[in-house]
Amino acid sequence: MTQHKNHDQNHADNGADTAIALGKGLDVGTANLAAAVQSEDGGITVTVERNAFLDIPSDVYSKNMLTKLKVPYVVHNNKLVVIGEAAFELANVFGRETRRPMCDGLISPNEQDALPMMKMIISKILGEPRVAGENCYFCVPAPSLDVDNNVVYHQGLFESLINKMGYTAHAINEAHAVIFAELAENDFTGIGLSFGGGMANACIAYKSIPCLSFSVARGGDWIDKNVANVLGCPRSKATHIKERGIDIRDPKSREEEAVAIYYRSLISYVLQNIKTRFESGQNMPSFNTPIDIACAGGTSMVGGFIEVFRDEFAKIDFPIPVGRVFRSEEALTAVAKGCLVAAAIGEA
Amino acid sequence: MESVKDIKEALSARSRTATLDELRSEGRKRVRVIRAEHIAQMVSEAVNAAVEQSGLVAPEEVQRLVDKSRQEFRSILKEREQEVEHAREVESTLADRDSQLNQLKEQLAHAAAEMTRMQAEIEGLRNAYSVPAAAPAATGAAPSGDLLMSMVQEMANLKASLMHRDAQERAPSAPAASGAADFTAAIEKLSGTLNDRIEKIGKKMGVSAAVESDAPLDFGNLFKDDGGKTLESNMDNIEVKQKSGGGIAANLARLKKLKGGK
Repeated sequence: MTQHKNHDQNHADNGADTAIALGKGLDVGTANLAAAVQSEDGGITVTVERNAFLDIPSDVYSKNMLTKLKVPYVVHNNKLVVIGEAAFELANVFGRETRRPMCDGLISPNEQDALPMMKMIISKILGEPRVAGENCYFCVPAPSLDVDNNVVYHQGLFESLINKMGYTAHAINEAHAVIFAELAENDFTGIGLSFGGGMANACIAYKSIPCLSFSVARGGDWIDKNVANVLGCPRSKATHIKERGIDIRDPKSREEEAVAIYYRSLISYVLQNIKTRFESGQNMPSFNTPIDIACAGGTSMVGGFIEVFRDEFAKIDFPIPVGRVFRSEEALTAVAKGCLVAAAIGEA
Repeated sequence: MESVKDIKEALSARSRTATLDELRSEGRKRVRVIRAEHIAQMVSEAVNAAVEQSGLVAPEEVQRLVDKSRQEFRSILKEREQEVEHAREVESTLADRDSQLNQLKEQLAHAAAEMTRMQAEIEGLRNAYSVPAAAPAATGAAPSGDLLMSMVQEMANLKASLMHRDAQERAPSAPAASGAADFTAAIEKLSGTLNDRIEKIGKKMGVSAAVESDAPLDFGNLFKDDGGKTLESNMDNIEVKQKSGGGIAANLARLKKLKGGK
């Protein structure tokens, strides 16, 4: 314990100086969970798992087969529950829908088994704390403009869960984490956008201090839902179409066309809401020089995303002077990375 | 039944109504009378006979067609009735909306009038006590959110100013105090009124005086049931996929610099 204390003290004094800073970052996303930790070579290691599960009838044969295929499962309520990416793949094979612990960026009230499954996935990707009470910064969405959501319950729930795992949990706004990860060169001044599975989050910060943050309850799942509706297929199939490497500027089939249409609609919706919110915002900082916009999140990984984003951006009269508009090179893991930066520096 | 009705309608359309006197004046003493049902029956029999004689359609098929036609007629009739009902409902909803809109317009006009009255009151007070402030110009249009906000702020300033003046006027000697007693009471009353109005407007704008506790909510009990329970799983033997990413040293150095090298 004394050793831990000394270690913690040392970290508190020299957090940013040490080669490997303590602290972990956790992206609690609707579609994916990602944990980031600083590695020995100075880089970071991010462990990603899909935030989904699928239950199948429990029998010895299935259990043995899953073990042989190295498919992660849990036995819960006398059912075999396949977890993570494997659940998504199995759902596609059997034409079923995966069960999702989260919905619209928050813990799903409709999934009774959500908590134990998420706890299992988070334990796996986060691992044990290196010292007792190690900082773990996890992302939470900002309150939504378009739906009435309970962020307090969501945040409190994950704080308790992570604390119970031996960490000291701290919440950080999802889009603020994008700013920590992507806008270091701009002294953490600019706009961070996180296009996730359930939501799109926005934050504008001046020298790392968030001035305004909010979210809209549309993301990758919204695209999947609409594509599935128009094509008459399961949502997991629509997700698969979206993630198989298409370019939304140049759709090659009717399915890809549907994806491209809803992507453009999502981007336009998000931009319009950002514009309106910034225009009506109280206490908005005034910028003398143009600021950058950094996009991240799994939904932004589709081919042609940033080009379509720039197209739609050019159509609106944005109230703030904007310089570069770019997508993170590590879009899927940028939020986890930002959480890790906050954890390493002890940013509140 | 529909055929009888149709025939009645057809007869009605193609015949005229005449009184017995009129018929008598036309030289008719007797008239032959036939019921519409009998005509319908005759028509039906004639059609059936013609169809049977043609040999094109079997009698049972004829009956089936008749039944089907009746069924379709009923179905179409029902649809039309539903459409009429729906149209009535839409009309009713529209009327409700109109009524609500009128009510809202009245409320808006009332609020605008109230604001104008309060602005005049404030202006009067400002003139009376020479309180310098830059009030927004009163307009006949409905007040915007910003205007309301600035009004609330202004009223709060005015209230503070009045309280300050009140305190200053309480300070002078006793003889002056007796003369100013009524004035002080009036100021207190006015101050109370202004306070109530500020609260009222604030509530209307969603600005509440209520404060929230800073104490965090503890959701730990949600996990108490699974404290000692371990689920059967093969997770320990499964390797999760890991990705390498760019370092965070530059980010941390920047942040440290921003924080003044702490």
